[in-house]
Amino acid sequence: MKERFILPYVWTIVLTLIATVYLYPLFLVLINSFKTFQEITSNVIALPTSLEWHNFANTFKVMNYPRYFLNTLAATSIGVLGVVSISSMAGYKLSRTNSRISFIMFMVLIAPMMIPFHSFMISLVKVAKELKLIGSPAGLGVLYWGLGASLALFMYHGAVKSVPRELDDCASIDGASPLRTFFQIIFPLLQPVTVSVIVINTMWMWNDFLLPLLVLSGSKKSLTLQLAAYNFFGLYKIDWNYAMAGVLLTILPAIIFYLSLQRYIIKGMVAGAVKS
Amino acid sequence: MVLISVEIPFLMSVFSSFTKWNGLDKAQTFIGFQNYHELFTDDPKMWGAFGFTLKLTLGSVVLVNILALLLAVILDSDVKGKNALRAAFYVPNIISLIIIGYIWRFIFSAGFNSLYEKTGLEIFMLSWLGDVKVVYFSVLMVSIWHSLGFYLVIYIAGLQTVPHELIEAAMIDGANKTKRFFNVTLPLIVPSITVSVFHSLSNGLKSFDIIFSLTNGGPGNVTTTIALDIYRTAFVINRFGYGTAKSVVLFLMILVLSIFQVQIFKQREVEV
Repeated sequence: MKERFILPYVWTIVLTLIATVYLYPLFLVLINSFKTFQEITSNVIALPTSLEWHNFANTFKVMNYPRYFLNTLAATSIGVLGVVSISSMAGYKLSRTNSRISFIMFMVLIAPMMIPFHSFMISLVKVAKELKLIGSPAGLGVLYWGLGASLALFMYHGAVKSVPRELDDCASIDGASPLRTFFQIIFPLLQPVTVSVIVINTMWMWNDFLLPLLVLSGSKKSLTLQLAAYNFFGLYKIDWNYAMAGVLLTILPAIIFYLSLQRYIIKGMVAGAVKS
Repeated sequence: MVLISVEIPFLMSVFSSFTKWNGLDKAQTFIGFQNYHELFTDDPKMWGAFGFTLKLTLGSVVLVNILALLLAVILDSDVKGKNALRAAFYVPNIISLIIIGYIWRFIFSAGFNSLYEKTGLEIFMLSWLGDVKVVYFSVLMVSIWHSLGFYLVIYIAGLQTVPHELIEAAMIDGANKTKRFFNVTLPLIVPSITVSVFHSLSNGLKSFDIIFSLTNGGPGNVTTTIALDIYRTAFVINRFGYGTAKSVVLFLMILVLSIFQVQIFKQREVEV
């Protein structure tokens, strides 16, 4: 019986060791972003002898960080807000309507889940150009509506089914308009799905690279953080100290977001993955 | 209603994404199946990319699922601090792939150099991104490092749905640990396996960002994936029509493989 008490601790130690090795590359990024260039070239794994805040100050300025941070924030929030509002309303309406048209519409709307982005990106760029959605973070956000809505709609559509129809009837007897029924009664009940949708879409839009590359790279002012970071690395191919400071600054918002909402994020990602 | 006004632009974007796969640009002349003909008979680069993508996908699907399942099983037993450990393995997954690629470029060059000087292990002296034979494993390792946490979480969620009574019943019947795992647990978490394999399969076939920043298709063209090849065909050498033809092929490939995979796994699912 002794084994039963010791074993969990053994596994904990083994796994902690594995996790440490697993995260060691990120630790290297952290310590090297504080070193001078000479320190990095002589020894990467040693701890920095002094903290070079100058690396960050320089990177912050050269990368034009605040501007691109705000751009990414704008694109992501426009995208997420749009996806949530479009697909929750559409999911509610389509799920409550029991006609053949509603079913066909639902199928047409969720079909894009099966289509890889790369197989329509070329024409998407062309369409976006014609709709004047190119070259601005807001336009990028709007493009995300269409890309993110399928999965979100699918999730909302399923969740609405578990909300009893009697609630709708009660509300309409009490004189609430369909819109008011939705916003005051149904939407609050769909909160778990909403959290999932927000998490999945935020992580994806914030970290997305290819679509911003395709629609934003032409205009210097409206880049996203990932794009700016990519350009920045091109600029500092060998100056690892600046590059690592850039890496750290770029991943910092995502890390903070993750650490503060960790439980919701993991739950949300699992829910999204399993449902699709 | 408001609904209609938001649906229309949405429908439009979905619709256009549909119509354009096989559509050539308006400004271009219709050339029938010429693109497809060229693709299948005269494009060794594309087929190289095709082969590499399949190899990478196969490697990552197999390895990431086995490793994630193994870790999940250990984490699901009574390990102390399992939430913190789970959170730790998830961290790389929240970083964008473009940054991941860049971090590893640093580790492979400068980081491994220092590690070699400290440890003297030959493995750190390999040219991880420059050697044609090694680069496959570098890309594979980095993509597994990035995605492991995601699949780990799916498997943990799956393992938590396995009823305790069944495990106990098997225990009483005298099944040992390995037997309990393969005959009770494994069949019950097939849905999680289906989901994970589906995701790793389609993510593998779509690999782009990580290649773009880690190797940019090099050395030579050995690590070019289909997605990167499509991107280059359309946006670097401006052959949009030909690019769309390739993307149709990618779509069909992913569709066929995914349906095939889901069918196989669905048959193995059992009800409790």
